[in-house]
Amino acid sequence: MSWQIALQLAFSGLSVGSIYALVALALVIPFKASGVLNFAQGEMATLGAYIGLALATNFGLPFLVMVPLTLLVAAGFGVLMERLVVRPIIAAPEFTVVIATFAVGVIIKSAVRVQWQDNLFTLDAPYVGAPIALGPVRLNPAYLVIIAATLSVVGLLTLFFANTKFGKAMRAVAIDQNAARLMGIGVGSVFMSAWALAAAIGALAGLLLAPIIGITPEIGHLILKGLVAAVIGGFTSLGGAVAGGLLLGLLETYAGAFFGATFKNIVPFCILIAILLYKPHGLFGTAAVKRV
Amino acid sequence: MASRVDIAAIHRRLAFPAIPKHLALSAALIAVLTLVPLAAGSYHIYLIELALLNVIVAIGLNLLTGNCGQISLCHASFMAIGAYTTALLMTRAGLSYLVALPVGAAAAALLGAGLGFPARRLSGLYLALVTLGFLEIVQIAIEESPDLTGGIRGLSVPRPHILGFHLKSDASVYYLVLAITVAAVTVGANLQRSRFGRAFDAIRQSSFAAQSLGIPPGQIKLLAFSVAAGFAGLAGGLFTIVVGFIDPTEFGISASLRHITFIVVGGLGSVVGSILGAVALTALPELLRGAKEYSDLVYGAILLGTLLFMPRGLKGLWDTLAKLDWRRVKIWP
Repeated sequence: MSWQIALQLAFSGLSVGSIYALVALALVIPFKASGVLNFAQGEMATLGAYIGLALATNFGLPFLVMVPLTLLVAAGFGVLMERLVVRPIIAAPEFTVVIATFAVGVIIKSAVRVQWQDNLFTLDAPYVGAPIALGPVRLNPAYLVIIAATLSVVGLLTLFFANTKFGKAMRAVAIDQNAARLMGIGVGSVFMSAWALAAAIGALAGLLLAPIIGITPEIGHLILKGLVAAVIGGFTSLGGAVAGGLLLGLLETYAGAFFGATFKNIVPFCILIAILLYKPHGLFGTAAVKRV
Repeated sequence: MASRVDIAAIHRRLAFPAIPKHLALSAALIAVLTLVPLAAGSYHIYLIELALLNVIVAIGLNLLTGNCGQISLCHASFMAIGAYTTALLMTRAGLSYLVALPVGAAAAALLGAGLGFPARRLSGLYLALVTLGFLEIVQIAIEESPDLTGGIRGLSVPRPHILGFHLKSDASVYYLVLAITVAAVTVGANLQRSRFGRAFDAIRQSSFAAQSLGIPPGQIKLLAFSVAAGFAGLAGGLFTIVVGFIDPTEFGISASLRHITFIVVGGLGSVVGSILGAVALTALPELLRGAKEYSDLVYGAILLGTLLFMPRGLKGLWDTLAKLDWRRVKIWP
């Protein structure tokens, strides 16, 4: 393999990985805040894509207006889900919580199917165009936008968690809920905003993906890759989730190039099982110590 | 409060084999089910067969999830392994169904035990992830090896011969399924009340407390996984001859969620619950035949609604109603 091809693969691996990283971030943020893993997160991406589609086609909104509006609607949906589904059962056994979020995913997916059937829709974005040649590597602008968007989301989140009062409150809740409550932090509103934030990030992933692969009810399948990325990252670290996403994207792309499509499809799940067995706290996470 | 221990009652409860609380009811139910082929058309026989299969799956899964407290999102894969093993042994190796069916169930149980190894170290969420990964691997493996499994085009299975008797009629298949289901329910119910069943319950409530009482959680979880997988594999093997055709879409994540819905709606940790849930939810799509595209939506809504508002399921509802003192209930204010 020549270095040009290797470089080209690295580029596509990183852009696919960026999407995985976004989904992984959207899984880890509410998990850190409220201890609940949202198995409906993939459907948040589906929802984002379809809301965008509806806004763009039914109301004729331009892309740059449609995107923020979609993120806002998705965030509202995240709030609803947290208040109506997650909050009432947060103290229930883990099984209940896992299956309830799964059920929400099924409901969203089948509602989308009832409304739009299994058709493939396309979403026009102003940046879709011919690849840009940069030396030997050809860069698809849609992929460049994905990488740029992921980088800016990560940058904004870093600033938010490090510098704002509410970001610090969210970190405090993630460390110790009771202590945070005693310090006067509204734990409920932290939960709610974590879910809103995650839903918006998930919707962004759906919107970014839509111009490339089109819109179908199966976009939600993305959650599997997001879960693998989050597991590689260790589930407790935002940086780890991003690194895990990029790593997974690269691994998958190179595995596909060397060993073919079947291998490419199976690799993520083998990584998932291997990591959970031998390094359950991921490459970047820390083990939680529990008193019995 | 000092409690008197009724030793005789405990002995009755632990008697082996199980004496069902409602022996007459069970006998009547089996009698009615035996008479079904005389009255019902082939479509209704087929539906009842599916319900019986689902009862087998639900009983296995309920032992694992309801009693032992382990999440499995890959029960459809165990069913797939049972179905494909049975089908391939019959069509490729030319084995009799009577051999292929138990071998299929055993293959599923073996893989279940294999998956039980991670379960010894992982719990809750992480186990859910491993089982989800396993489901995807099985799915891809079936789709990507079309030479063996027929890939996404599926595999058709002819009606088998058993001891020289061709299971040609719907009724003959039905009686086979019914007999195996009754056997499976009996085994499941007895297992739940046995030493192992109580160990399952102990581990669900507290793994550490169970360990301090001399129950080895690792081995017991392994057992729970292989039993549940074996039940699913058996159901898969029966599925091949009931439907006559298998393809990977039958055994995806939505099938797994359907199995979980059976036990959640029926009642976690209860054999009666498994039966109620499986039968009620197999009948449901039939009621929704006019609105087929809503079927997944309704399934999801029922699952979520049960988790939120009726966490003990139909069995819990049944118990509540049975305990209710009807003379004190005011229907009208």
